[in-house]
Amino acid sequence: MTGRMAVIALNTFRESIREKLLYIVLIYAGILVLCTFVLSPLSVGAAKGKIITDVGLAGISLLGVLTVIVAGSSLVHKEIEKKAVFMVVTRPVSRQEYLVGKFAGVVMALGLLMLAMAAVMTAMILWGNGKVNIPVLSAVYLSMLEMAVISAVVIFFSTFTTPVLTSFFAVCIFVAGSLSGDLRAFASRFGGPAVRHLTEFLYYVLPNIRVFNLRNEAVHDLRFNGGDIALATLYAAAYCGVVLYFAYLVFRRREFS
Amino acid sequence: MDALAVDGITKTYRGDLSKGAREVLRGVSFFAGEGEILGFLGSNGAGKTTTIKIVLGLVRPDSGGVSIFGRKAGSRGALARIGYLPENPWFFPHLSLGEFLDYCGRMSGLTGKILSSRCEEVMPLVGLERSSRQKLKSFSKGMLQRAGLAQAILHDPDLLILDEPFSGLDPLGRKMVRDILLDLKRKGKTIFFSSHILPDMESLCDRACIIRGGVVVRSVSLDDIFRIGEGKVEITARGCGAAEIKALDDYIDSAGMKGDEAFITVKKQEYVRTVVRHLYNKGAEILRIVNQHRTLEDIFIGEIAGAPAQAKNGADRPEKEPLCGSGAKEAGI
Repeated sequence: MTGRMAVIALNTFRESIREKLLYIVLIYAGILVLCTFVLSPLSVGAAKGKIITDVGLAGISLLGVLTVIVAGSSLVHKEIEKKAVFMVVTRPVSRQEYLVGKFAGVVMALGLLMLAMAAVMTAMILWGNGKVNIPVLSAVYLSMLEMAVISAVVIFFSTFTTPVLTSFFAVCIFVAGSLSGDLRAFASRFGGPAVRHLTEFLYYVLPNIRVFNLRNEAVHDLRFNGGDIALATLYAAAYCGVVLYFAYLVFRRREFS
Repeated sequence: MDALAVDGITKTYRGDLSKGAREVLRGVSFFAGEGEILGFLGSNGAGKTTTIKIVLGLVRPDSGGVSIFGRKAGSRGALARIGYLPENPWFFPHLSLGEFLDYCGRMSGLTGKILSSRCEEVMPLVGLERSSRQKLKSFSKGMLQRAGLAQAILHDPDLLILDEPFSGLDPLGRKMVRDILLDLKRKGKTIFFSSHILPDMESLCDRACIIRGGVVVRSVSLDDIFRIGEGKVEITARGCGAAEIKALDDYIDSAGMKGDEAFITVKKQEYVRTVVRHLYNKGAEILRIVNQHRTLEDIFIGEIAGAPAQAKNGADRPEKEPLCGSGAKEAGI
């Protein structure tokens, strides 16, 4: 990362934090406490810890993705709309540096948010006599990767469309990406050649959100392949790189009229 | 080498379903020499901001080209030498002024002690030294304009491009900006700016380009403006009647009375002594003697309206007020 990218990233991070982004942690804590008290009577002993882990990990993933879609969708667009982007693109800064800096800033801010939520969850799990083990921490890490991938998608759309459409497209891609594996399997068994090709295409083009889901293993303390974490990391890095490259191709041609 | 050379740029914005294509620039050409202050004048929608955006590489021209110190507009080398103040600037509201300048400085490649000393220098220059820690979201329009100027000059650029730099400023703020720009000119910087405030432009510019309908219709040196109409002098006197003035018919263009004051426009510089002596001998008190010349506003309105601009004189001035500032030169008699 160049010095200018780091400066843009730091500014984006600062902007997100000062926009009271971390208040989401309070919402998360509230949801977690509420769910624990509502669901605890239904469980006994160590199951209480599992409920907290289950709800906690799902909450981190969902709130992380939702926050990046809502907050991230207006980041680039707002700067273009308000002409603040002129402060950057009229200086010797490439548009690539600008986009990567923005992406890094969003990921840093959301990463901090997710870490804070993970800290709340850890406290709650320990309070519920549960275990905070490697699978739980790995699941949090994968949720952060998932958030990074959706951030890249959001940045891509925000280079050429409005925040509302960006949010809409990002939600669609998140949902479709979560289901693409199932659709592909379903089509390969029951679909015709055209449907099979379509689902195959979507499977490879859309982000495979499934690879970032380790919640089941974490909740039930199941064994998992450590290599999958490394592969998921590589996949997320490659996917973000490709999406940001396409974002750059669009943004490079963009005029600020 | 010219600091800025704009060569026949054209631009048409493609329309959509609701509106057709809009031709904004139709071959704009002009230049700014190094160390020159060039004003860019035009009514709303004439193409000023689009031209400025093309110069900055924010918008691509359909044809023609722009070079900045010999480099292509929008290139890294060109941008490194530019300081830009956009019209109605909006800056990051979550940052304090100090953080904002730090951000802009780093974007321009400044670091460490050079950056902090430049921030320390420019904040007092724009009168914001006490607002370093204040968030930009609490700034007034005038303060934002000053902050915008501070970020534009922070990295000591060779070419300043300012879009309406006087917008939102009070008279003190305008004077401050004028002084800063004149100081930068003394340091050899080139300044290219658009403004609707013609007296400010007149007091600053070496030359002014007037754009109308996407074409530069006139480029005029301010020295030339001052020379146009030279020779006519307005004399304001008190205590003289119509008879005394009538006797001067051969020497004067026009005359009018307001209260006990007479406003007499003398035809030629060499008649001034005669007229003054005559009035003095008749017991009149000479209040003012002012040279008449055309103003940038006359030329601008003449070009925009398409009507020939005329030198102002006492007869067509609605209110008889003393001519002052950039619009007048004291007569040298």
